Amino acid sequence: MSDAQAGGIGGVPPPDAAVKRPGPGAGDLKPPKKSIKKTLLLLVGVWIGGVILLYALFGSGGRNNSYQPQNEFKLDNWINAGVFSINKAVLYLFLAAIATCVSMIYVANRMQARPNKVQTAVEVLYQLMRDNITGGNLDEKMARRWFPFIGTLFLFIMFSNLVGYIPLPTNTEEKINIFGAHIPSFSLYAATANLSIPLVLALLVFGSYTFEGIRAKGPIGYLKGLIPSGVTGGMAVFIFFLEVLSNIMRLMSLSIRLFANILAGHLIILFMAGALAVILGVSALAWFTIPAGIALFAFEVGLVAALQAFIFATLTAIYLGGAVAEDH
Amino acid sequence: MIATLANISVTGAQVIASSGGFLIEPSVGLMVWTLLVFGATMFLLSRLAFPRISEALGKRQKAIEDSIDTAERTRKEAEELLTEYRERLKEARAQADEIVHRARQAADAHEQEAKQRGQELLAEAAGRAERDIEAATERALSDIRREVADLTVLATEKVTKKVLTDADQRRLVEEALGELDFSSISAGPASN
Repeated sequence: MSDAQAGGIGGVPPPDAAVKRPGPGAGDLKPPKKSIKKTLLLLVGVWIGGVILLYALFGSGGRNNSYQPQNEFKLDNWINAGVFSINKAVLYLFLAAIATCVSMIYVANRMQARPNKVQTAVEVLYQLMRDNITGGNLDEKMARRWFPFIGTLFLFIMFSNLVGYIPLPTNTEEKINIFGAHIPSFSLYAATANLSIPLVLALLVFGSYTFEGIRAKGPIGYLKGLIPSGVTGGMAVFIFFLEVLSNIMRLMSLSIRLFANILAGHLIILFMAGALAVILGVSALAWFTIPAGIALFAFEVGLVAALQAFIFATLTAIYLGGAVAEDH
Repeated sequence: MIATLANISVTGAQVIASSGGFLIEPSVGLMVWTLLVFGATMFLLSRLAFPRISEALGKRQKAIEDSIDTAERTRKEAEELLTEYRERLKEARAQADEIVHRARQAADAHEQEAKQRGQELLAEAAGRAERDIEAATERALSDIRREVADLTVLATEKVTKKVLTDADQRRLVEEALGELDFSSISAGPASN
């Protein structure tokens, strides 16, 4: 029926034309609740049905001891050059650095008075680094001096973490044969999932705040500043060693927190995405755990990657501020 | 589900504990690479990214502050204009009231004057009419007197069958006129 027919002559509806009224929820973009419920039930049905079907078809093949999921994080040198050998972690370091520099410089060169979404996101990150992380923990002069370091730490760690959630063909241990070409299998890896990288960053932080503390108070003044005012005698010596230990613990906590979070995230995604099924030899288990894998992946990308960078950068700013503070 | 999760954690722990020692073994080479790459990143960002972003944000902040200042200035100007407008409106209303008042006063004065003039004209017209009436009455009375005299002479001559002398005529006329009462005729127009 054409529009003219449907509308009647001259726009007057025909007498038998039923008046169309909007139904419940008309004009609302949200789909009806019934539809969501149906979709969810369907998905759950497919999920459970898939588990049953896969288990019925393939059953259990027994435990697979040859597959070592931790080897996903093993670093084999691709180019041997002594200290400067190139391996997967170095590649990810470079990828993180390139992603950080390219994205930030690209946006910085195209700053507009009326920002688009990407520029807005970068501005939000920049203001978070400048006003909250650095400005919130350091005085104006210190904040200006240390902002490039703290900002780079935040961005570098965040991009390292995010790049680690992009599946890349970097697993040289397991290869895929595509028309005779043996290419490395895709895997998730993050530079920060290797202890060396968070550790050296933590060492940089340790060195920075110690340097800043000594510059502000002098070597003796800085060491004396470790003891709270009013504490004397044996207790002062005890607290001094406790504070030295606390500084070393800072080093460990900074590095291990980042490393362990990212490694654990990657491992659990790996397990949920099929490693567990491979180890236990139960194919149906992969189908069973994949929803959890997807949820964890989203959680890691959406929250953990940025949160860990934020924690690392914030603690750096706090340590720097604490090192020059008058009273301990 | 719980059994599965337990299985996962146990398996994961076993995997890491069994042959994952390399995971917590720091590599000097990687640390050196990290220092180099991080240093280069910091150098590039602090030279090419941070200053430009900071400059753009500063410009925008300045633009926003300028806009706020301009808006504030415009608001003040608008308020001043509004105040001035209100004052002028008040003055205009006062002037309008005064004009209306004056117009009313002028109209009243004009009305009074017109009334007075009307009354004067009326009085003048009435006086003139009275005078005309009096003159007409006088003329009528003279005519009546003459007619009466003539009729009296004529009647006397017919009765007496002789011609009267001037002295007789005069005496008869005076007697006849003396018997006539003109007071009602002469008072008639005056009383009207």
